[in-house]
Amino acid sequence: MFSNFKERFMTALAPDLPPLPSSERSDHHHRRFGNQQMPDKFPYARPPFLQLLTVDELRASADHNVRPIIVPRDINLLPWGTGYAECVNSGKSEWNEDQGAFCRRVLSDPEHKHPDLPYTYFGIFDGHAGYGAALAASHQFHHILHETLVDCIELLLPRDTEGGENGRLNPTFPHPIYFQRRVSKDELIIGALESAFFSMDSLIAQDSNRYRDAGGCTACVSLFIDGKMYVANAGDSRAVLCQRRANAPAEPKNDSVIEPDPLEATCYPVPFSADHTPETERERLLNVARLKPHLMANQYVAMEYAKRPHIKDMGQRILCRQGTMKGWTYKTLTRDDLRMPVVNGEGKRSRLLGTLGVSRGFGDHELLAINTGIQIKPFLTPHPDVRQRDLTQVVSIPDEHNQDGDYGVLVMATDGLWDVSENEAVSRTVFQTLSKYPTEKHRYTMVAQELVARARGKINDSGHWRLADSKAAATVDDISVIVIPVYQYYQEHIEWTQNYTRDLEKRRRQAQANMAQEAQEVSVLNGGVMAEEAHVEEEEEEDGEVVVLEAKAQIQTEPQAQPHAEAEEALVVEISAPVEQAPQQQATSTAADVAAAESQKDSAAVTQQQPQSQPQPQSSQQRSRGKGNKGKHYSNVN
Amino acid sequence: MSYAYLFKYIIIGDTGVGKSCLLLQFTDKRFQPVHDLTIGVEFGARMITIDGKQIKLQIWDTAGQEAFRSITRSYYRGAAGALLVYDITRRETFNHLTTWLEDARQHSNSNMVIMLIGNKSDLDSRREVKKEEGEAFAREHGLVFMETSARTAANVEEAFINTAKEIYEKIQEGVFDINNEANGIKIGQQHSPTNPSLPGSGGAAGAANSGCC
Repeated sequence: MFSNFKERFMTALAPDLPPLPSSERSDHHHRRFGNQQMPDKFPYARPPFLQLLTVDELRASADHNVRPIIVPRDINLLPWGTGYAECVNSGKSEWNEDQGAFCRRVLSDPEHKHPDLPYTYFGIFDGHAGYGAALAASHQFHHILHETLVDCIELLLPRDTEGGENGRLNPTFPHPIYFQRRVSKDELIIGALESAFFSMDSLIAQDSNRYRDAGGCTACVSLFIDGKMYVANAGDSRAVLCQRRANAPAEPKNDSVIEPDPLEATCYPVPFSADHTPETERERLLNVARLKPHLMANQYVAMEYAKRPHIKDMGQRILCRQGTMKGWTYKTLTRDDLRMPVVNGEGKRSRLLGTLGVSRGFGDHELLAINTGIQIKPFLTPHPDVRQRDLTQVVSIPDEHNQDGDYGVLVMATDGLWDVSENEAVSRTVFQTLSKYPTEKHRYTMVAQELVARARGKINDSGHWRLADSKAAATVDDISVIVIPVYQYYQEHIEWTQNYTRDLEKRRRQAQANMAQEAQEVSVLNGGVMAEEAHVEEEEEEDGEVVVLEAKAQIQTEPQAQPHAEAEEALVVEISAPVEQAPQQQATSTAADVAAAESQKDSAAVTQQQPQSQPQPQSSQQRSRGKGNKGKHYSNVN
Repeated sequence: MSYAYLFKYIIIGDTGVGKSCLLLQFTDKRFQPVHDLTIGVEFGARMITIDGKQIKLQIWDTAGQEAFRSITRSYYRGAAGALLVYDITRRETFNHLTTWLEDARQHSNSNMVIMLIGNKSDLDSRREVKKEEGEAFAREHGLVFMETSARTAANVEEAFINTAKEIYEKIQEGVFDINNEANGIKIGQQHSPTNPSLPGSGGAAGAANSGCC
């Protein structure tokens, strides 16, 4: 506390001098001496979409006396009108140690056999003990996430479901027989997020040999992909989906004079993350300590006491509990009980090893406990909680004009906001502000700004930050808020779905045309082979209908498809240069042939494995909507 | 670059009077005919020389819209100078000056130098506010007055520099307590080859933060 004060005092006196090295910190944290000589991996900066490009702008934005609320200069840089606002701490650290990031990318099949799958990611990282880890995460997490998504790209990409609802597997992917259990697309994406969190943490660990100690950070990440919203969180940042019920039809006025606040009654927050603090994770932390007592080096005790044991209480009985216990039990105090508990304090004051206030996140590889110098990292984990919302299942009646309420507005923020704002109050502020700016392009930015302004409060004459409405203490921490209009994403997704259905239709026509052409050629050489194959399959299957249907469909489409194929080929000829004509044409047809052949093979394979497969949906529109079935492709029937 | 003093300015006035354009003209020497609405606050900086001393101006360009007024009020704190801007082609922006001035006086320190600026002087044919009216208002409220054009750059330099001169004089007279950062003035480093607290250039910033959260 005193050191904070000293730092602020010095900053005020000589703002351009580096803050005083705090004796308390250098004593207790035992940072490696040589570490101070190593460079930063990334130079300090604010999120790129804020466009604070010069050191002067950075400095002005970090004014601890005014704490300006920074919003993007160009609000079009963020997708869907997403709002963002941030504000620096009141002087506890020189720079704002929060970071925000977003990224829009496309998963595309290297062989271009499937339509591309776009996704959007947002991340918010609250740094501690330095800005390095949060900065690294904001620069690198999306690259890691992209890699992990690309790893399972064959399973994620939308595919043509024609020829059996079970679709086809890319031949390079292990045959489903190797799977011991069903793995859904959801689980793959959740897995991608989880493994990206672990990779990010390892990357910071690797960098700790080459770069200055990065400190640590929490991570709260949202991913919008394939009509769903995923939120992954490690640490005490929080994501809350703010929702609102459509206004009920006006009831006849009753006698009560006080009208209920319509927002109070209709707004409700849905948490999409759980905070990971030493208090909320007491059980896990005490378990780690109990199972690996060497981590405590005889300095801590993996117990919780109803009251702090004193030496004078020695030999007396005291109420206590161990890691996994829910209830309390008596034990006789011994000397060992005088050691510091692994977790102490309550609520926001709870500390792990008396030092750290979060229990999950990235970094902290070099963080040592105050007073004892014990490694803290083994108690921490980057493992995120992941929650998911399927936006295609949301019911919204267009006439009610309540899309923001039905789909929700996702507020992701660091603990600077949540320390002083209840989820309920945040969701009220969201819809209050939105109703104030019904049509403005920057309405979600205004929401973010309003949320930050309320949490930061106003500075009073004695230099303390106070909430405007209650005079209670406002936060002195960094505050960062992202406000995502989920419905705007959903609209984008619908548009994409329509485009990709069209794309699929085109691909299918082309494939069929090529197949037909091939069939003609084959039948010239070797008449009736295809038909025979079909018969063989039919005999093997209990439910031969599928195959028969398929064969019929082929016959029906053959004559129709021919002119299409010609037209498309003609198009290729037109746009390609005369010299390249011949080879290109060949290439197109071979690629399509392969695809067609594969699709035949696959459909045969699928019908064999899934004898229970349902009759095919009737229209392609329905098929593309039947996303509930997609996950089954990867199941093992054995 | 090192400086003797840093002065913090704030630009205020109704929406669309040309606050952001004045800043852009002063810091970048260019004019942007179509400028997006400022949301919140933007920053600019430039070095000037007064009395042979390097002075850095740190300028906070605020949103003029009514909706931002409560947030903008918190930015007066710690400003040494304010540019109060109206548009000579829109009478209502002149009529609102009193409100702006009240706000500024109430939320800033009493020594803040306020410069009244009638912008868009290049649009003389559409003028709605006479120059004399601006002068009279400035006289009445003890402000410095100037008409400028962010488009042609006329008087833009002067507006910012004259404000700085006035602040500098006040420092010389001992009116400002330069050791109190809340007055919007910082003393530069006396002798420092590099700027040690620049992000990424020193060893202190990362390690000096508190160990826990």
